[in-house]
Amino acid sequence: MNTIASHQEILHFPKGGKPTLTPNEWLIWNPSQEEFQRAKLPDLDDGFHKVLLPFSWWCNQINSPNQQSDLLAKANKGQIGVWFAADDDILNHSEEIEAGKKVWSLVAAHFPIFRDGRSFSTAALLRSCFAWDGEIRAIGDVLIDQLLQGARVGFDSFALRLDQKTDVALKQFDLFSVTTQNSWRGKRTFIAETLLEETT
Amino acid sequence: MYKYDHIDQTLVDQRVTQFKDQVARRLDGSLAEEEFRPLRLQNGLYHQRHAYMLRVAIPYGLFNSAQLRMMALIAEKYDRGYGHFTTRQNIQYNWLTLEDTPNVLADLATVEMHAIQTSGNCIRNITSDAFAGVAADEYVDPRPICELLRQWSTLHPEFAHLPRKFKFAVNGAKEDRTVLLCHDVGIELKKNTEGQLIADIYAGGGMGRTPILGSLIKQELPWQVLPSYLTALLRVYNRFGRRDNLYKARIKILVKALGSEEFARQVEGEWLHIQNSDDNFTQAEWDRVAQHFTKPAYKSLTALSTEQVVAQAPEAEKIAFTRWLERNVSAHQVPGYAIVTLSLKPHVVVAPGDATTAQMNAIADLADQYSFGELRATHEQNLVLADVEQAKLFELWQAAKKQNVALPNVGLLTDIIACPGGDFCSLANAKSIPIAKAIQERFDDLDYLFDLGDISLNISGCINSCGHHHVGNIGVLGVDKDGQEWYQITLGGEQGNDAAIGKVIGPSFYADEIPDVMSNIINVYTQHRADDESFIQTYKRLGVAPFKEAAYKNQKNKSENAKQQGNAEVNA
Repeated sequence: MNTIASHQEILHFPKGGKPTLTPNEWLIWNPSQEEFQRAKLPDLDDGFHKVLLPFSWWCNQINSPNQQSDLLAKANKGQIGVWFAADDDILNHSEEIEAGKKVWSLVAAHFPIFRDGRSFSTAALLRSCFAWDGEIRAIGDVLIDQLLQGARVGFDSFALRLDQKTDVALKQFDLFSVTTQNSWRGKRTFIAETLLEETT
Repeated sequence: MYKYDHIDQTLVDQRVTQFKDQVARRLDGSLAEEEFRPLRLQNGLYHQRHAYMLRVAIPYGLFNSAQLRMMALIAEKYDRGYGHFTTRQNIQYNWLTLEDTPNVLADLATVEMHAIQTSGNCIRNITSDAFAGVAADEYVDPRPICELLRQWSTLHPEFAHLPRKFKFAVNGAKEDRTVLLCHDVGIELKKNTEGQLIADIYAGGGMGRTPILGSLIKQELPWQVLPSYLTALLRVYNRFGRRDNLYKARIKILVKALGSEEFARQVEGEWLHIQNSDDNFTQAEWDRVAQHFTKPAYKSLTALSTEQVVAQAPEAEKIAFTRWLERNVSAHQVPGYAIVTLSLKPHVVVAPGDATTAQMNAIADLADQYSFGELRATHEQNLVLADVEQAKLFELWQAAKKQNVALPNVGLLTDIIACPGGDFCSLANAKSIPIAKAIQERFDDLDYLFDLGDISLNISGCINSCGHHHVGNIGVLGVDKDGQEWYQITLGGEQGNDAAIGKVIGPSFYADEIPDVMSNIINVYTQHRADDESFIQTYKRLGVAPFKEAAYKNQKNKSENAKQQGNAEVNA
């Protein structure tokens, strides 16, 4: 998991934009149980000035008197985001997410293994239920052949597993010019075409 | 039937391109087998015992003669000259190479076919009533909803990596011909008092290791909101279905663990914030799809009585023709028409559900000649010509006989449902096909079969239950014990409106014991049946005990003989 932090580049695919590779600024903090208990933010060095904290750690610490001001100060400087584990029940933490939305600069959802689709629903819920309009990053076991699905459910950046070929990855997003269900990126083609006809 | 528009065709063509690239990456080694596996499975490609097996989708079992000719051509061009129709209304090819599969898919795309989501942990091909749109007992033609749901579920990004496979069935008739309650989601269509189309939703059914019948979780759902409701349902499953244990990953385990009421409550909770979303179907979408499911150009005919139909045959053939009418011809909605089932279960000679290239081509011709060029594949692995003029039944029967697809055994003991089993499948513990053939050989006498009447016999080569043994009146399950193939028998399973899961009767048998075991079980029925009782009715009245005793009769005799022999030796 910590290897993700060594990403040099992130694949960005903004809604309505083109996929590009950009330098990574974010450290993903995946504390050991001991570190989790110690409740101390990791040092931001090694060129990373921003940190993604485990959402569960954020929930534990954000109301603690020792942490709150430091966390919020860093968050206000755009240095704090959270990442959701695949088994985080985000609908059960609506209050924390609604509050967090105001201060987080980035959120991420983790794929423990490429064939685990829970984070697809996490991203879809963040977009549809929580109306999060900031960046959502896919982290963990992120492979080329998940990109298209990820992009459609709500992810707009991807920390690809390090062995994945970025030139192949960049070509994934325009494989399909039609869709048969709505997604975060747009309406299904039939509806989109109907709307277009109505307006022209 | 449904005809692709530019959206469908583009999607299928682009899916072929995508898969071609995935195969190329696998072949050049840049994609590891472990990571390629879910990608090929989501395109219906399995790696089997001898070769690759491709499962091609026949959405809700409906296809046309041009498509059947393409299935025949693919069998000829890339495989060994035959295909296998499955219980989920698809067709499988057993002898493909990985290199060929993108070309197979490209060929299929030319006739509006694909293999999308015929396997893998995603929403699978949707199955429905093989008699949809023509059945005399139909409330609602399920095909427009099936097609709308096919499109909605195709390449659905959020549900591409579910905990496990996910199967929908849709029924709109009085008699359930879809095994609705054995599906992850069963959708029962009906009309409310205002004449509006509504759906009852059953969830959590399934076969496999833990067979469970689905529970009713939602009633009278307007058809338009099916996408948002099903999104909510699948989202609950995607988020909370077990991923730690393959055998506990189906939705049935989640529904059972939560209880169906709690599961329904969680789905409602998820649905609440999306139920009015524009994911829902629109009237324009309905109109676009439903226009393809209008009635064909039926002639205005007078319904013929059975006597009038039988009179088409010369005297010498009347008995055989009547048998076929009784077993393989069903009532149609329209006067003067009938539904014909072509049996893919000739005794002994081929595996249940198999059809050769020559047969497929000939059956395509029959479809053109007698049934508006359309066909259906059934859950029982037979083919259906749904719109045959009663006046042409004799003619069709004669043509079907030439193709060896006219055996009058539909619904009889030898109309066996069977998976490919250990002859092909690498999951199987035991072979299915030789068992099916051995049973057909034992019960080859049509008079006797007719006398026995309706009995379903389903064979699965392993607990994945592709042969649906759990819902056979008699079920046979291949099991592995110490590296040897054994067969466990279940009794009392049923599909249809009284769906039930069969009960295991006891220790399993050797393959060569199975025909005798079947005879012994059947004999209990013939000895004890009341007037018009079917096998399952007699079973329900008597309970399992006499059948069980009969099934183990030979073993008991054997062990007693052995014991006596042993005693004799001691005495000597």
